[in-house]
Amino acid sequence: MAVDTKERPPATQQTDATAEQESRVQPYRIRTGMFAWMMHRLTGVGLVVYLIIHIWGLTALTDPETFNALIAKYHSPIFKVGEFGLLVAVAYHAMNGLRIVLIDFLGWSPKQKKLFWTLGAVTLAIVAVGGWPSIYALGEWLLGPGSMPTLFL
Amino acid sequence: MAQTNALNWFLHRITGTFLIFMLITHFWVQHYDHQAASVTHEVVTEKNEMPDYPEEAKAGVEARFGPDAEATPYQVVMQRLADPVYAVLWKGFNILFLIVALHHGFYGLNNVMTDYIRNPMGRLVAKSLSWTLALGLLIIGMYSVITAGW
Repeated sequence: MAVDTKERPPATQQTDATAEQESRVQPYRIRTGMFAWMMHRLTGVGLVVYLIIHIWGLTALTDPETFNALIAKYHSPIFKVGEFGLLVAVAYHAMNGLRIVLIDFLGWSPKQKKLFWTLGAVTLAIVAVGGWPSIYALGEWLLGPGSMPTLFL
Repeated sequence: MAQTNALNWFLHRITGTFLIFMLITHFWVQHYDHQAASVTHEVVTEKNEMPDYPEEAKAGVEARFGPDAEATPYQVVMQRLADPVYAVLWKGFNILFLIVALHHGFYGLNNVMTDYIRNPMGRLVAKSLSWTLALGLLIIGMYSVITAGW
């Protein structure tokens, strides 16, 4: 075995600490702002994909039969679930985007945390009120007609 | 180039703010207005079954297209576009909505792609392809909006 020098330590005696440093993946501490940013990206990309499908789908407007068939499909249970998911993504992206605009344009950064939770509450309210029709429709379908209360409808 | 990026950054925030108000209008008309909603919220249907529309929508379609007219999804949309003044307003709104949404979405998508694609050539390819797709969507979207109801 060759002599181990300071310049070239043996590979077998590598400590866990150096192994961690050389790793390509950096461990992040996920804080509120980081989580908000990741979700903004994720919902943003999802919404672009939806936008593409949505604009493409609207070409059906040129033919009544095709359009009726498309809208009939939008009333199937799986689309009702998707509709709710879409609202969640839109509401989150819109409210977090508003937070970014308020911070960038009005310099509301000292109030960041408070703003985050306030807009979080607004998002929940939008999802609850706006998403109720989808939940109602799914409930009526699963549990039978007349089983859901007709709130906001 | 740097100036264009700063302008786009600024526009991204402006279009985002506009989209909040435009989306509220869009959702209201498409899902909650009992006369105009093309997707009637309370209804889940079985395969290929037409959704049943509220009385307001049926009355609106009959008033516009005669007592024999059926309230199908297509007719519910058309009653809105049958009034020329109203149609121009809605078409104008939808074209503006289309442009704003596409700019916002594809500018955002390009930001994301620039973060993960490190190679300059790859970035250029991703940028060109995505904006070509956006332009294509703008053209077919405008076509759908303008020709609807003709």
